Amino acid sequence: MIDVSYITAPCPVRADIEEAHTFFWQKLAAPGTWWTGAERVAIGAEVRQAHHCQLCQERKAALSPTAIQGTHDTGGVLPETAVEMIHRVTTDPGRLSKRWYDDLLAQGLSDTHYVEALGVVGRTVSVDSFCRGLGLPLHPLPTPVAGEPSRRRPLEATLDGAWVPMVPNGQANVIRALSLVPAEVHLSIEVLLPIQYMEISEVRNLPSDPGRAISRSQIELLAARVSALNQCFY
Amino acid sequence: MELTSVVTPGVESGVPHGACLTAFAEAVLGTDATALVAARQQVLAELGPAGLVDAAAVVATFMQMDRIADGAGIPLDAAFVEPTQEMRTRLGFNDFASAQNTLSVVT
Repeated sequence: MIDVSYITAPCPVRADIEEAHTFFWQKLAAPGTWWTGAERVAIGAEVRQAHHCQLCQERKAALSPTAIQGTHDTGGVLPETAVEMIHRVTTDPGRLSKRWYDDLLAQGLSDTHYVEALGVVGRTVSVDSFCRGLGLPLHPLPTPVAGEPSRRRPLEATLDGAWVPMVPNGQANVIRALSLVPAEVHLSIEVLLPIQYMEISEVRNLPSDPGRAISRSQIELLAARVSALNQCFY
Repeated sequence: MELTSVVTPGVESGVPHGACLTAFAEAVLGTDATALVAARQQVLAELGPAGLVDAAAVVATFMQMDRIADGAGIPLDAAFVEPTQEMRTRLGFNDFASAQNTLSVVT
C-alpha cells in the first residue's frame, strides 16, 4: 500500500490533494506505457538528484547550457539520454531547444519514452514543490511494482507544431502536449489540474473563480510569476 | 492586475496580498531557506492556513505545467498569438529562450 500523508503538515491539507498525491505515487511505482515501475521510480529519483548535480549547476550558471560538457551525477539506473533529459527539464526548463530534443532522439531515446518521462518529471517536481512550499520533508519514493509497460501508441498522434507528436483533438496545446502517452495526460492534466489549480473548462473563463481560499486573481498572479521565473513563454 | 509585477519584483500588482504571494513563489523556486520560511509565514499571516495550502498547490501546478510546455516544445496556440503580441513584447516574454517554439512557427 502506497500512501502519501500530510498529517504532519503545519496546516490542514485538503483531502483531495492528499488523495491525488497518493494516486500519483501509486502510478509512479506501477508500470507505465513505456517505462517499467522501477524505471519510473528511478526517473523520480533523478529529478531529486538533479538538484545536487554539479554539471546541472554549472550549466544553469552558464550563458549557454551547451557550452558546458561533462557527465551528470546520476543514480545510474537509467540510460544517459534519459538522465540528460530528466536533469535538464528539472533544472533548466526555460532553455531547452529543438536541437537538444532531436539530439536525444538521435542518441536512441524514443519520443514515447521522452513524453512519458516528461509527465513523470513534471508530477514529481510538482509534488516536491508542494512539500517545499509547506516546509515539509519530501515524500519517500515508492517501492516499484513489477510488470511490463503496455506500449500503446496512439495511431492518430502526429507532428503538429510541437517537438513531440500530439493527438489532434482540438484542445489547447498544453492540454495535449503529453497526448502521445494518454495515461500521462490523465495524471498530469485531468487529475492534477482540477485539484491543484482549477477545472480545465474554467481556465479560459476569466471571471470564473474555483472557490479556493485564494481568489482567481491571486491564483493567476501566482501562476504568472512562477512561469516568468521559469522563463516559460507559453 | 498590473502585469509588469509578473516580471519586475517590487512592482505593485493591484491584487490583494499580491506582494506576499509573489514573494512566496520566488522563495519556493529559490534557494534561500530563510527567505522561504519568512515568505511562508507571511502568507500564513495574511491568507491563513487554507490560503497557504492553495498558494503552494498553484505554485506546484505551474512548476509542472511550465516543464510540460517547454519540454514538449509546444507553440502558443494560434488564437492567442495576435491578441497577446503587444503584452509579450512589453513584458519581455518574446526574449525568453522558450519563445522560439512559438516565434519560429509564426515568423
